[in-house]
Amino acid sequence: MGKAIVITSGKGGVGKTTTTANIGTGLAMLGYKTVVVDTDIGLRNLDVVMGLENRIVYDIVDVVEKTCRLKQGLIRDKRHEGLYLLAAAQTKDKTAVKPEQMVELIDELKKEFEYIIIDSPAGIEQGFQNSIAGADEAYIVTTPEISAVRDADRVIGLLEAKGLSNPKLIINRIRQDMVKKGDMMNVDDIIDILAIELLGVIPDDEAIVISTNKGEPVVTEENPLSAKAFRNICRRITGEKVEWLNLENGESKFSKLIKLLFSK
Amino acid sequence: MKEELVAFRGVKEGIYIFIRQGDFEQIKGELIKKLEEYTDFFQGANILGIRGEDLSEDEINELYNIVQDKYKLHISEDGLPEYLEEPKFYTGIHEGMTKFIHGTIRSGQVVEYDGNIVIIGDVNPGGLVKAKGNIIILGSLKGVAHAGADGNQEAIVAAYDLQPTQLRIGNIIGRRPDEDIVASTFPEVARIYNGEVLIEPYLPRK
Repeated sequence: MGKAIVITSGKGGVGKTTTTANIGTGLAMLGYKTVVVDTDIGLRNLDVVMGLENRIVYDIVDVVEKTCRLKQGLIRDKRHEGLYLLAAAQTKDKTAVKPEQMVELIDELKKEFEYIIIDSPAGIEQGFQNSIAGADEAYIVTTPEISAVRDADRVIGLLEAKGLSNPKLIINRIRQDMVKKGDMMNVDDIIDILAIELLGVIPDDEAIVISTNKGEPVVTEENPLSAKAFRNICRRITGEKVEWLNLENGESKFSKLIKLLFSK
Repeated sequence: MKEELVAFRGVKEGIYIFIRQGDFEQIKGELIKKLEEYTDFFQGANILGIRGEDLSEDEINELYNIVQDKYKLHISEDGLPEYLEEPKFYTGIHEGMTKFIHGTIRSGQVVEYDGNIVIIGDVNPGGLVKAKGNIIILGSLKGVAHAGADGNQEAIVAAYDLQPTQLRIGNIIGRRPDEDIVASTFPEVARIYNGEVLIEPYLPRK
């Protein structure tokens, strides 16, 4: 039986879709059978970020309305074995799916897949309610801005009310140079306010913009720091203990220490 | 004289049973009556099949059962010749109803029509144009176009700038290649060729 994880934030533009695409791809790279589900009906993006837009024939609305079978709705990723996408419908709106139907759909997917990563729309209305309906766990994405953190706090409260307690936190788009100068909230400031477990920190990285525009999640690339950060998050999801990444040069504190010892 | 509901018609391949629109019980009665009357004649004939003006599949099957099981008549395996089969899809791709749309079809918008569609404007990625006939776009097509939506494989999609995310004609689906492709600088037309969507310039001498 698989695990369903919803990626949500409250605020728009903080990187939910990018995070979903990278975590989904990262888990598939680790060999887990994974499906990413776009619940942003009417404003779908996940297919574009993953470069699968040209393969969509059926979408999530067709699946819940039983216009097609679940298998027909699942789009196989072009690069990674065991990675699938269930696209949102673009020509309908959030009311096209009901939370009960989502529960049924996610339960069905849990029989087939080890991880179901659900991309939530921005906001706290029906689209959000749909996206969390079938989830076992929630990951909150936020950026180091007071508005994003405020919305994240609101969403954590809503999730708890729906029985999704202990959500985990992903902080996106940190700029270490600004944090140092005191111009940006640091990780501890954010955790102080939200008081939830930290799953990972993604640095602000040009490589993400490039990879998004190419339709290839950054996690597949070797070198970018953001790719390493996403790979670490994926390993933490699977239960592995992974050291925190040094966001300045990509080395863990431990390997830095070793270098220091041997460089003498 | 009232037109008969059941008629036997001869073509060069053999004969077929033609059923006019009417009450199904009456049709059955008339068919049985005729078969009784001319049993000997039909024994040796090459019966091609049954063609009804307004019969459901179940009704057609019931009539076949009467002919085959009750009267032990052999129905040719070749079936009805193609020219007798009524097309079940929209055929007005040479001359037919056409909808003209002025403006851009944007992401999430859908244009559907039971005929041909002409768009004086663009179709953006995420937009969908679905016609039972042809689709002509006097602009760029970057979204999805579905021509011959109810099964006409002869339908075409033409655009000044043809770079669709996906092209569907009849029940055939073609998708944009994953690699970057060089956008053509001339108008193109897409049609089905050997079961695949083929894109070619429609002004071959240019």
